[in-house]
Amino acid sequence: MEETAAADPTPGIDAAPPTPRPPPSPFAPSRSLLEWRRRVKSEYMRLRQLKRLKKAEEVKTLFMSNRQKIEQQTNLLNTEWSKLRIQSIPLSTFSGSMPGKKMCTVEFGFPGFKSQAITMRPLSTVAGIPFMYSWSPLQHNFMVEDETFLHNIPYMGDEVLEQDEAFLEELIDNYDGVHGDREGGFISDEIFKELVEALSQYSDHEEEEEEEAVVAAEAAGKKEDERVMRRSSKIPNDKIFTAIASMFPYKGTTEELKEKYKDLLEPPDPVKLPPLCTPNLDGPFAKSVQREQSLHSFHTLFCRRCFKYDCFLHPFHATPNVYKRKSKEIRMETDPCGVDCFLLQGPKNLWIRICYGHRGLGDDGGSSVPPEGKEGDSDHETTSSSEGNSRCQTPTKLRSGDDDGEQQACCVVQWSGAEESLFRVLHGTYFNNFCSIARLIGTKNCKEVYEFAVKEVLIHRVPLEDGGISPQKKKRKHRLWAKIQLKKDSSSNQVYNYQPCDHPDHPCDSSCPCVMTQNFCEKFCQCEHECQNRFPGCRCKTQCNTKQCPCYLAVRECDPDLCMTCGAADHWDSKVVSCKNCSIQRGLKKHLLLAPSDVAGWGTFIKEPVQKNEFISEYCGELISQDEADRRGRIYDKYMSSFLFNLNNDFVVDATRKGNKIRFANHSVNPNCYAKVVMVNGDHRIGIFAKRAILQGEELFFDYRYSQADALKYVGIEREVDVT
Amino acid sequence: MAPHKQSSSGGSHPVGFGPGGKANGFYQPSSAVAAAKKPNMQLIQDDHELFLQAFEKPTQIYRFLRTRNLIAPIFLHRTLTYMCHRNSRNNTKRKTFKVDNLLFKVEKMRGEQETHSLASNLQLTFTGFFHKAGKPSQDCENEQNSVSLEVLLIKVCHKKRKDVSCPVKQVPTGKKQVPLNPDMSAGVQAKPGSFPSLLVPSSEFEPSNSHMVKSYSLLLRVLLPGCTQTQINGLTNGENHHNFTEEVVNRKRRSSSLREEGETTFVAQMTVFDKNRRLQLLDGEYEVSMQEMEECPISKKRATWETILDGKRLPPFESFSQGPTLQFTLRWTSDSSDRSTAPVAKPLATRNSETNQDTRPCTLRSTQTLALKESVNTDMQTRREQISAEPRQKLRILYQFQYNNNTRQQTEARDDLHCPWCTLNCRKLYSLLKHLKLSHSRFIFNYVPHPKGAKIEVSINECYDGSYAGNPQDIHSQPGFAFSRNGPVKRTAVTHVLVCRPKRTKPSLSEFLELEDGERELQRTYISGHNRLYFHSDSCLPLRPQEMEVDSEDERDPDWLKEKTVKQIEDFTDVNEGEKEIMKLWNLHAMKHGFIADNQMNEACLLFAQNHGAYIVKQNLCRNFLLHLISMHDFNLVSTLTIDQAMAQLRLIRSQATQRERDRQEDEEEEEEEDWETAVESQPELDPDPDPDPSEYKPYSEETSIPFVLPP
Repeated sequence: MEETAAADPTPGIDAAPPTPRPPPSPFAPSRSLLEWRRRVKSEYMRLRQLKRLKKAEEVKTLFMSNRQKIEQQTNLLNTEWSKLRIQSIPLSTFSGSMPGKKMCTVEFGFPGFKSQAITMRPLSTVAGIPFMYSWSPLQHNFMVEDETFLHNIPYMGDEVLEQDEAFLEELIDNYDGVHGDREGGFISDEIFKELVEALSQYSDHEEEEEEEAVVAAEAAGKKEDERVMRRSSKIPNDKIFTAIASMFPYKGTTEELKEKYKDLLEPPDPVKLPPLCTPNLDGPFAKSVQREQSLHSFHTLFCRRCFKYDCFLHPFHATPNVYKRKSKEIRMETDPCGVDCFLLQGPKNLWIRICYGHRGLGDDGGSSVPPEGKEGDSDHETTSSSEGNSRCQTPTKLRSGDDDGEQQACCVVQWSGAEESLFRVLHGTYFNNFCSIARLIGTKNCKEVYEFAVKEVLIHRVPLEDGGISPQKKKRKHRLWAKIQLKKDSSSNQVYNYQPCDHPDHPCDSSCPCVMTQNFCEKFCQCEHECQNRFPGCRCKTQCNTKQCPCYLAVRECDPDLCMTCGAADHWDSKVVSCKNCSIQRGLKKHLLLAPSDVAGWGTFIKEPVQKNEFISEYCGELISQDEADRRGRIYDKYMSSFLFNLNNDFVVDATRKGNKIRFANHSVNPNCYAKVVMVNGDHRIGIFAKRAILQGEELFFDYRYSQADALKYVGIEREVDVT
Repeated sequence: MAPHKQSSSGGSHPVGFGPGGKANGFYQPSSAVAAAKKPNMQLIQDDHELFLQAFEKPTQIYRFLRTRNLIAPIFLHRTLTYMCHRNSRNNTKRKTFKVDNLLFKVEKMRGEQETHSLASNLQLTFTGFFHKAGKPSQDCENEQNSVSLEVLLIKVCHKKRKDVSCPVKQVPTGKKQVPLNPDMSAGVQAKPGSFPSLLVPSSEFEPSNSHMVKSYSLLLRVLLPGCTQTQINGLTNGENHHNFTEEVVNRKRRSSSLREEGETTFVAQMTVFDKNRRLQLLDGEYEVSMQEMEECPISKKRATWETILDGKRLPPFESFSQGPTLQFTLRWTSDSSDRSTAPVAKPLATRNSETNQDTRPCTLRSTQTLALKESVNTDMQTRREQISAEPRQKLRILYQFQYNNNTRQQTEARDDLHCPWCTLNCRKLYSLLKHLKLSHSRFIFNYVPHPKGAKIEVSINECYDGSYAGNPQDIHSQPGFAFSRNGPVKRTAVTHVLVCRPKRTKPSLSEFLELEDGERELQRTYISGHNRLYFHSDSCLPLRPQEMEVDSEDERDPDWLKEKTVKQIEDFTDVNEGEKEIMKLWNLHAMKHGFIADNQMNEACLLFAQNHGAYIVKQNLCRNFLLHLISMHDFNLVSTLTIDQAMAQLRLIRSQATQRERDRQEDEEEEEEEDWETAVESQPELDPDPDPDPSEYKPYSEETSIPFVLPP
């Protein structure tokens, strides 16, 4: 028995890379190792069992809460409807329309048993509906990453046919692996920690190991002295890690495991954050940091295209310090903000000199403060192109003579870390407008701010205005038309995804990614506003639904920041916009209804009648790469149902898992709708439009082949119809 | 050549489509043909099979619908434009109508009744009690050749408020011995005087004080001692034989398990005055069909149309030839000797004459239990002939049934204008054709003019898809909801315009002629729109009518997406909790409003401050909010003006919150207020501790209240 058991673990040990510290004596430890392995196994099983129970419990509570939610919703609806005098939805507990009228009786042949009777509760019939896989509703595309792991092996029916098996094998080859393959050996950090802790209980009782453990613990304790270890005074026995390492070879060597455990032991201090993280500015531990640091999270996570943080559509977010400020609106307070305003303190001309002296504008007359908001390109970043905390690296020490006096004042006023950080942040925006800064900081007055600024030596010169901009609009317009025409001609169906270009030094020429992909530069590009590749928008005063409109001609929706005359930028709250070329971005879709199709499965039906070429809905879904679409398409092809829709050369919209109601529109060779990929504010999106006038209640069809030459291969029923 | 068979049945009753009998009523014609010539029985059998295959199902369906429509009509035929002649009412009186007329009418009617009901007594003379299915009373060798008869006058009173059901009073009027199965064939009977006779005094019909009597009826109860039970089975059709409630099977069981004492009670009830105080029994000779008494007769109120399917209904007059009947003569006399003055009542003839046709629901519901012999001379047979002779035009209609891909035909002829499926008397050929076409769309009807009348080609409508053109809400959730048995229900209101004033063509028979192929296209439905049941896309539950108007699934920020964005931000490790909180708030805000343009951002930020300001202040996120605004400014999306405005909004909210806080404190401890304020004032300069104290951040005092120390 011992022999076979001993033979068993060896492959496990072999699999593990040679440990730096092998077991001291090869014979005795192998027995103890066996013992440990057994413990590891039993403990591991126990922990997993616990986990499973916990999870089951969680699911249970979730389920119950869900039930409650449903009940609440139903009650809510019913009360609302009862107000409207509409009959309510019968709950499942409803006893039916004729309670107690019909009885069900079970009679027994034996006299000893009483017959049992209970009121019959008829359940109302439910209309049978076509099959539907679950999906999540969405009104905007959602980008997902490639799945290198196959999440589940597709179910192909109970009978596994031979070609299916071959298909599955091929499918699995396409992926790096299948999720859950390592089911038995799976171990997470949490379980690992618990496992070690559970095992260390054993070691306490073992005398012969005690010594060694203590030694190890001491060594570890010395090494990690500076680290805080409140929960366990010592690192458990190496044996434990050796045993675990042999059980879960892929998790690493004994040493690695040990290190990992030590890391895990680090107390999860809520205050202590990862080193990269700036402390909360509103919190008690706010530190005095540089502007860039304070704004780092906001800058990096904000998507300038979606106006959201960590958006669902754009994996790459440009940081703003490379943008140029277009609004030249730094306001200078000309009037003191109060009796104690810094403007009234000390010699006035001193302040003026500080600001404008170097520019020779100083008038020494307090009334002639330079015109408001005309400071030109006042952003500091433009002067120093270097990234990072540019503001602090360019200190312009102007005055040293007054230092003493200022120092005194600063000593009196204490600045907290948060205030300091906030000042730096605001100073980057408001510059020398200390009154505003003080008002925004809230806890300091402008004089204190001013003094602090002096101390920080952050009083800026306001940079000079750039050279005049020469308008070239007439030329550009001609060129634009030529360009649209050019794109049309050379189109060859190659549409590439738009990515904002960022090449600071040279203008958009043939090396610009936008030019190369035959896309226009958008407002998100880092290039000059006057870039030749920029689309200027339209100046239509009509509906923008003819080719007279350059936007329409270029298969773009009107940009509300470019097209200011057509109405695309007006009436945000109403559904009636004069411009008919901004429906996708505004989500002005028609009310669609879902019902069993007259053709196959489910179908999409329209609530109200629409005219020809009217926008009906956007075809939304997951945005996936072409490679991913290939992989998914293979499975969908097998299922004979696909929601894939080619968007451009880089991406495909897949409405299988996420989508909106238009996903149920069926294919037809004689459809009443058509699909069109439109550039909408930098994103390609699929619009479904009416091909002819459609009556209310009509089912919607469009030609799936529009975008995908081989789309038909996914459309089972229609394909067969076509063949016959 | 397809075999062409013609079997005409000239009988007054429509063959195969008669009101009684089973649904596959086409049996008779083919059997008649079989008896005639065709040598090959097998062929005929096959042909018959084909015929049944084609027509049996739809016929059954229409038979079922007919019955249902009789019991619980969805619409009345007389309201249809093409059936306007069935509408006996006209609106000419409406012009002169006054409300007072109603009162006048009622008063007049009451006066009438008073007069005659007071005047006369009801005299009943019993001829005999007849029993044993059709057999003469030869085996009636047993001791008694008479039965005991009891006559009760039943007064059904008006329901008073507290009464559960109408109070019923039974007044015994007397018991008599009536001869059992007297030999009528002998013709010459003893003098009328020898028969037992009963007198119900007129005073009984006077209204009593305690209860307003609603209706009067006579209950005849015959006690038959020691009769063999088995022979009565199924023949005991009594008063209910016009209701469709009889279940033969049920009855069989009951009667066989019935009393062992050997005594059987037969009952019959006749209405003397109905609810409207109209006299129902005129002078005359009556034969009443008796019903065997049961413990619990089926309540009329629960009569349903389903039972007709498994129950067998006897034709109306068959029971008289077989069942137990009681014969008597009825006279209204002013005094016991005078027999001339019967009270004048509303004519019954119109109602009774239609009883035989089974066409109108009102007739079917009536509890008329008697066959009236107007006079001794009038025979049933002659009466019937009179009725069938009623249609004005003597038209012969040939129904030519085409089946098996129109390769075979069978023809049937009818002499009236009743619909073969509904037995509805259409009275005009145009109406009949229109009715057939519109009500029986499972068939195709083509009209072919015929010298004798008309030929109607009937074939199966292959295109009939059963598609539902009514209210889609009726299809689901409550089956049979529209035909609830428990009284009226409130329906969900759906506005449903079916036809918008179609051009009505002059009624002409030509519209029923066979159409050219091209014309079929024109036969598109007028109904367009939502004639189907929609479903919620998230739950696959049926969409209820009140949910049609709003798209419940078009929200820009579905719950899962909100959860997702929150989770995604929460997952960052290098973003602090204040930043996370603001980012989450902003994302939810942006998702809710769906901002799309740079120039919306100023407004968006202000809206954000407005909507979430209180939360931001409460959660102590003001500086993070400022950072967010500055960041937006760095992206060139907002102006400094917006930052100022948004922060001013926050300050306002904060000061309000502090004010509220202060008010509360003032209420609690007014004296301490000054101390507190001075403490706040002194805080900034007195606090020497460089370590920021968490408590310092909580009470955000307004910046205006903070003084600062002037530099020396």
